[in-house]
Amino acid sequence: MNHFHDWAYLAFAFAGLTMATVVTRGSFFMLPARFALPAQVERALRYAPACALTAIIAQGVLTRDHQPYLTISNYQWWALLAGALVFIKTRNMIAMITVGMTVFTVLRIWA
Amino acid sequence: MIRMSLLPPLDRTAYREGVKAMTPLAAAVAVWGVVTGVAMVNAGLTIPAALLMTFTVFAGSAQLAVMPLLATGAPLPIVWVTALLVNLRFVIFAAASRRSFMHLPWPQRLLASYLNGDLGFALFSRRFASADQHGNPEQWGYFYGVAFVNWGVWQAGSVVGFLIGGLMPSDWGFELAAYLALMAVLIPMVQRFPAVAGIISTAAVAVLAVGLPLRLGLLLAVLVGVTVALVGEALRDRRLSRLSRV
Repeated sequence: MNHFHDWAYLAFAFAGLTMATVVTRGSFFMLPARFALPAQVERALRYAPACALTAIIAQGVLTRDHQPYLTISNYQWWALLAGALVFIKTRNMIAMITVGMTVFTVLRIWA
Repeated sequence: MIRMSLLPPLDRTAYREGVKAMTPLAAAVAVWGVVTGVAMVNAGLTIPAALLMTFTVFAGSAQLAVMPLLATGAPLPIVWVTALLVNLRFVIFAAASRRSFMHLPWPQRLLASYLNGDLGFALFSRRFASADQHGNPEQWGYFYGVAFVNWGVWQAGSVVGFLIGGLMPSDWGFELAAYLALMAVLIPMVQRFPAVAGIISTAAVAVLAVGLPLRLGLLLAVLVGVTVALVGEALRDRRLSRLSRV
């Protein structure tokens, strides 16, 4: 079954995701003034978003069918690498996506 | 009966200043909205579902991050925790700007929370960094000037993205666009050694542990990555303090 057509699944998912938006953005707006973050917790919070994004990207690009997918013919990986280099150099998101998708399409068709 | 407004008193001049501050950034927000919209529809989301998602969730990075999880019907707690992790940066934003909002009635705080995204926070904290008074109509006016433009431009961009995405064939592997868009959020977060060490170990664990049931490899990877970054930070600080003593 395609989960994108399962409306009950999506409705529950979106309800929880909306909560995730409000609970994090509202955290310290809603909490009483006496609550403050311990320094160590604040440090951990600083790294968590980058790590979560990395985990998603790594599993998306470097795995296939629940297996590591670390071969030369992993075109998504080369495209992502090319795009990342462009972004580090230019800080231009459009340039990164254009280069990444072009590299991927070229490899997919001709390699 | 007490009539409760959702908005605090807004200073008009400051509101216009907020709109003006946001205007040069509107193009970037719109483009990011279009990219997110295209990526969501290309991942397989129908346009009605995409509309429902953008007008409720309203958090681009989290929406993109959970897309591959939703596509495979991952357990909902994993979907939610992943979004929470990506959103944790907002907790730091909220802690930093709470003084301007915390004395408002709670419905007003709730709406301000919902609209307090990355750019809004960046502009707000730069504008009022040296303010000696917090929580006045000037600050609320500026905040909502920025927030409303940001919300409108983002949603418009997303809807355009859904339409463009709907026209593109879905078998071209365009889900890669979503990962590329996430890289644009990730790379600016990773400027120093502890963060780099953290994401490299995260990536390694995420790939090796991908076979774990319930997508638990994701959470394990984040746990290891954050720990490595914290240890790296402690080691760096110790080295710096030793160097400064010489």
